[in-house]
Amino acid sequence: MGQRDEVSDSDAVRAVLAGDVDQYAILVRRYRDRYARYAARMLGSRDAAEDAVQDALIRAFDQLAACREPAKFAGWLFLILRNRCFAERRRWPREGRRLEDTDEAIAGPGRPDGRLEQAERARALERALLKLTAEQRDVFVQKHFEGLSYEEIGRTTGASVASLKMRMHRAYDRLRELLKEHA
Amino acid sequence: MSMSKTYHPLVKGLLDGERSLADLPPELRAEAEEAERLLGAVDRTPVSLSPALDARVMAAVRRRAASPVRRAWRRLVEPREFELRLRIRPWIAWGGALAVAAATALVVLGRPSVIPAGGPTPTRVAARDSIYVRFVLYAPGAKRVAVAGTFNQWDQNAAPLVPAGTSGIWTTTLALPVGQHQYAFVVDGQRWVADPGAPAVDDGFGRRNSVVAVTAHAGRAL
Repeated sequence: MGQRDEVSDSDAVRAVLAGDVDQYAILVRRYRDRYARYAARMLGSRDAAEDAVQDALIRAFDQLAACREPAKFAGWLFLILRNRCFAERRRWPREGRRLEDTDEAIAGPGRPDGRLEQAERARALERALLKLTAEQRDVFVQKHFEGLSYEEIGRTTGASVASLKMRMHRAYDRLRELLKEHA
Repeated sequence: MSMSKTYHPLVKGLLDGERSLADLPPELRAEAEEAERLLGAVDRTPVSLSPALDARVMAAVRRRAASPVRRAWRRLVEPREFELRLRIRPWIAWGGALAVAAATALVVLGRPSVIPAGGPTPTRVAARDSIYVRFVLYAPGAKRVAVAGTFNQWDQNAAPLVPAGTSGIWTTTLALPVGQHQYAFVVDGQRWVADPGAPAVDDGFGRRNSVVAVTAHAGRAL
């Protein structure tokens, strides 16, 4: 198993393209949880995140021949997942989904450390995040949940640092407003 | 506490990690503490998905790999060995070759500013199952140009184009297997450029891949 996981992304991609479909399991195992937190925070629910990650992995397989740089499979897959999360978010109003219809906080209320106040603040933030635009939430989640810099986010998404900052600063203001309403 | 709904720019700098609390004037202290509480609410606990997800994805992937549509697509796209036997009269072969040569010359020499409009040009039969296809890009000022695609696993170094003097025209001729191929030019190792002269498909992520179909008789931009 360890040996299988030492296979590089580009070798795994090339093997799959050459017809060895089982090699795709290496990529699935490698990325399924890595992007789960992003999807969960974008969609407000672990179940929705699981559907999104599953769809993204299947879609990546379908499109694998178009992956220009197999060594950058991770970033390419992330963009597929990000698009999937954006599309899902756009569907909500049409499907009548209310923003409050989210998980009981992804981290859950029964935190073992018992810090209920902290858990409540986390839940309030998650609810507020869902009221941001998808673009604002995306940049907030990538920077503050995933710990990426503006430069790193820009490299993956193609957005400039200036536009990411503008989006983020609007997100800060909106969150402030929403959290005050909540308080 | 400030009554403003928006954070002060200095506090936003704090939220961005570009300033520390000590950098802020005392009158912004309360607002900054509120901002820090916001970041304190960020829960970075990893999220684990169901262990069954791997099996579901792989089942879907294997179904797709086995589907007739995908097998047909792979037959189109992937190089394979087969024998091509042609029985043609010599004058047809020579006439065809001359026509292709004339068309290529017209594209290359006659209209340099619109060279890409022709798309990839088939030139002659290479091996049994391949056709030579000429790729041309007008890229004045470029230091290097390559073509990468499904036929070379998108390897940016596998197929460099050669500049035609100082005209800004870059060309290369590749033997491509019969089938449909997606490709793009890579300018100076970093800029991906779709062939302006060939049809393109969206790769699903905001980028365009050009498409060429190589048949046993010739290559054509779809």
